[in-house]
Order: sequence, then C-alpha cells, then structure tokens
Amino acid sequence: MGIKLFEQPELERPELICGWPGIGNVGLVAVDTLKGMLLAEEFGEIEPWDFFYPKRVSIRDGLLQSLEFPANKFYYQRLRERDLIFFIGEKQPAGEGGMYATGEKAYKIANLVLDVAEKFGCRRVYTSGACVSPTHHALKPRVVSVASSTQLTEEVTRYQNTILMSGMGGREGEGVITGLNGLLLAVAKKRGLESICLMGEIPDWLAGSPFPYPRASKSVLEVFADILGVTIDFIVLDKMVAQIEGVIERIYEGFPSEMKERYDQRKFIARAEPGGITEEDARWIKEHIEGLFKKGGEEGGGKSV
Amino acid sequence: MEESLFEIYQAPQLRNSSLIVGWQNHDVGKLSSKVIHFLNQKLETQRVAEIKPAGFFPLGGATFKDDLIQVPESKFWACQSHDLLVFSSEEPKYEWYRFLTAVLDFAEHHCQVKELYTISGTPSLAAHTAPRKILAVYNQPEFQKTLRGYGLEDMTWEGPPAISSYLLWAAKRRQIPGLSLWPEIPFYLAAGEDLLAIKLTLSFLDRRFSLGLDLGEFDQGIRNQNEKIAQLRRKNTEINEYINRLESGLSLNEEEQVRLAREVYEVLGRRG
Repeated sequence: MGIKLFEQPELERPELICGWPGIGNVGLVAVDTLKGMLLAEEFGEIEPWDFFYPKRVSIRDGLLQSLEFPANKFYYQRLRERDLIFFIGEKQPAGEGGMYATGEKAYKIANLVLDVAEKFGCRRVYTSGACVSPTHHALKPRVVSVASSTQLTEEVTRYQNTILMSGMGGREGEGVITGLNGLLLAVAKKRGLESICLMGEIPDWLAGSPFPYPRASKSVLEVFADILGVTIDFIVLDKMVAQIEGVIERIYEGFPSEMKERYDQRKFIARAEPGGITEEDARWIKEHIEGLFKKGGEEGGGKSV
Repeated sequence: MEESLFEIYQAPQLRNSSLIVGWQNHDVGKLSSKVIHFLNQKLETQRVAEIKPAGFFPLGGATFKDDLIQVPESKFWACQSHDLLVFSSEEPKYEWYRFLTAVLDFAEHHCQVKELYTISGTPSLAAHTAPRKILAVYNQPEFQKTLRGYGLEDMTWEGPPAISSYLLWAAKRRQIPGLSLWPEIPFYLAAGEDLLAIKLTLSFLDRRFSLGLDLGEFDQGIRNQNEKIAQLRRKNTEINEYINRLESGLSLNEEEQVRLAREVYEVLGRRG
C-alpha cells in the first residue's frame, strides 16, 4: 500500500484540506472548488488498487491501454499567508454497497494521507462534510463545526455564518461524522494534529438525494475563504446552485399543499429545534422521497470486458 | 509472496510455463469452465495448489445450487509435458487485487510463468449460424505481433473491467505478456453451452501449445445443437424470423431477445 509523490514541493507548515464524497457531496464540492480556484498543483497520489476496484478499462485495437481507478490525489499551493496541501478522494474505500469507509482500510488510508501531510510539516487538518438539519432549502445553510480542542472551536466560531455542533438543537453537541471526513480528524487528533471539520447544513429531506447540494458547499467555501484570507469567484458554483435549486423546487412542488405550509414554517422558526413538519409528514417524505428522486432509465447493460 | 494464502500440494516442475486462467462464475456459454475441464482431463494435469478462500469469498455459510453444496475453489493444476499451469476459480467477492497478486505470485515464483492467457466468453448479437470469432486483448504490442497468425480479432472497448482485464493489467505491470481470449457467443446460447465456441477456443490453445488434442468429440454435440435449433425454427415462425433477422445483421429489441433466449434455452436445456 503506497504513496506516490511526483515532486517534493518546499512547503512551510502547510495546512491540509481534505474532501471525500458524502451526503450531498457538500464537502467534496467545496474542497474541490477551492483547490481549483487556488490553482493547486498535483504532486502525488495514494496507489488505489489496495483500496478500490477499477472503474473503467480502455482497450483499443486489441491492446489494453489503461485501467482507471478512483483518484486519490494530493495537491499543493503556496499562499501569501500560508501553504496548503489538498487531498481529494474520488471515492471512500467502502465495503460492498456502502458509501462510507469503515474498518482497517479506512484507518490505513487516513494514516497514509496524514503521513504525507506530516512529511511536509503539517500541523493542522481540515475536512468538510454535510450536517443534516431541520432547515428549509430556501435558507442559507450555516456551517456547523467540530474541532479537536476548545481553542479551535473558539477560533472557528469567529468566522461568519458558523455554529458549533452544540448549538444545533437536539444533539447536545454529540454525534458522528461518518466516513473518512470524520475518521481522518480522529486519527489526526491521535497523532497530535489540530483538526477541524466544517459541515454545511443540508435539509433533512434532501440527505438521501442522488444529487449534490451546492448551496451548503458554497457556505463552507465562504468560511474557507475567510480562514485563508482569499477571494473566491463563485460564478461556477452559483450556476450549479441555480441548476440544483430548480430540481429541488420541482420536487418540493410535489409535496402535499398542507405539508408544504408546515414545512415552510421552517423559514420563520428558530432553526435550533426540529420543527415545521409533523411525524406524519416525515413518514410521507420517507415513503415518497425515493420516487421523487428517482432518475429516469436504467444505466448500462451490465457488460464488462 | 504471501505464503499463508496458499495450500500447496506438490511442487510443480514447470519452467517457462504458460498460465491459462478460467473463471467459473459469470461463465457465458459455459466456455471457461468447459475449456478448463477439457484441458485438465485430456492433459492429465496434476492439482498442485490452491488459494485459500478466507478473505476472498463470503464464508458466513454455504451456498447450494441444484441441491448441491457449493464450495469456492481456486485451484492450480500443472501439466509438465507442455509446461502449462492452469488456474480455475470463481471470481473472488472481495480483495480482487490481493487475489490476482496471489495468482501471479504463485505462477511466477513456483512456475516461472512467461505468458498469461485468460478465457471468458462474451455475448454477441450474431446468429449461431455465423462463424464464431475470438476477440483478443493483449497487454503488450510485441505479444500481439507474435500471435498475428492465429486468426484472433482485435477488440476495441471501453467500460467497466472484468476480472480478466484486471489480471491482464496486473500481469503487464510485472512485464508478463498476456492475452485475454473473448470468444463471441450468440446471446441466446449464453445461458447454456456453446460447444462451437468451446471447440474454437480449444483449437487455438491446441495450436498455440501443440497439445495434440482430439476435438472431434465436439462435432456430434455441435450438430445436435444446431439441429435442435433448426427444429425450433421450423416449428416456431416467430423464432425463425428473429434468427433470420440476426443472420441478416439486423437487431432485435429487448423483448424479442429475451423471448429468443428463453425458447432456445428450453429446447437445448442447460447442457446445450
């Protein structure tokens, strides 16, 4: 199980920002957009074959050209104030049918990522993800955070539109950050590194949707921009937001009208507590949501070569 | 090499061997299992080792098929007289890379393997009356040149990889020349046996390794299979029309394909 570094950039106490797929791909879209905006350069990868199955083979004129695996790449950028390392994982090393990494492989990949970060002198790690919340899709998502120390939680709440997990109602500040966006922080803390997770709020009924939730990614990105002192051009992300908003609105239109009225109360009540919909509404959503999200048509014919 | 992954029964006496690999599940036209079985029987190969199933197959219980308990087996056989190593297995459920590494480790360290051949059928929209083709994928251009005279047809394809392609790629990384044989099997023979494709594949291996195989025993079976389908065509005009269309290079819709496959399967049965 190896790491391949294509170059050895000279970095000064870089901070590591990681993104893996998760609910609404909130973290992945935020981190990937930030990496793109800052023109970070690729400098290494984790060899994927011990963690992932290949996703595509290319054969031309009888010759095996390539076997493509999910990408797990490192990037770097030197900013005026600080240096950054990015790690973007296209997939979590999950078991069959799962989305999130668990067990030995997850622990190994988390340690490999941190091996690279520490090799370059990194002392702080950020991950990002989604925080499922009883919010309304028309509201600006807040950024919910947890960190490895109280000093860091104090620091992170200085930024705009942030809230600590303990500020979210009904959780008492407790919970689980599923998959590598969470596990990496735990492993980082164990290794004595500072770790912070920035989670964009996603409405509870959208948590199982097959499409991204870029509104939350944008909120996370705004906090990253604040932390790093950089200016971000949101044009591309705003286009994505508009596109997905259209889809969400069409689904929302399919809600029964009384339920819509109750749900819309979420716009006006304090967001700390679950509310605005009844248990019956929640049951209706659970029963109908898959049908509302369902994509048209079946993919592929199952053939492989 | 992870020695603990193997059960070795006897030290194979092979030098510069060729490795032939067949997969027993997802076996289109029963091609892979029949070719491997035929080779093992006719060449009187010796079982030399197996890869233990733990870690690669679900072992939470036993599966059964046709009232018979199924055991995941991943076995190596050796044929000293022709310097052949034969490997047959179900596709592992977990840890493909580790499993394929184990296959190549054994072949390299114990049998000094010099070439790899994988065998898997691929469904085709051609009619059963059309000559069968073997599509080929090589992992080195030099190896492709070496095998130019065998009548194989170069494949072009992009999509999800089968385990054979993964093995071919793993062999390439070790500089082991490899060839994946993908004999085309009419889709309506895919669930049963395609004796013609099996014979064609064995013919290639016979020529390549000068095995001196007598493949005449397939001819009667092929004639019987063709006659049964011909009878079906005479009896069932719709099925006849479907096959006529395939013979003319036209396609069938999904419903027609399913109907044809089901009718042919009922006539031929699982054994063809």
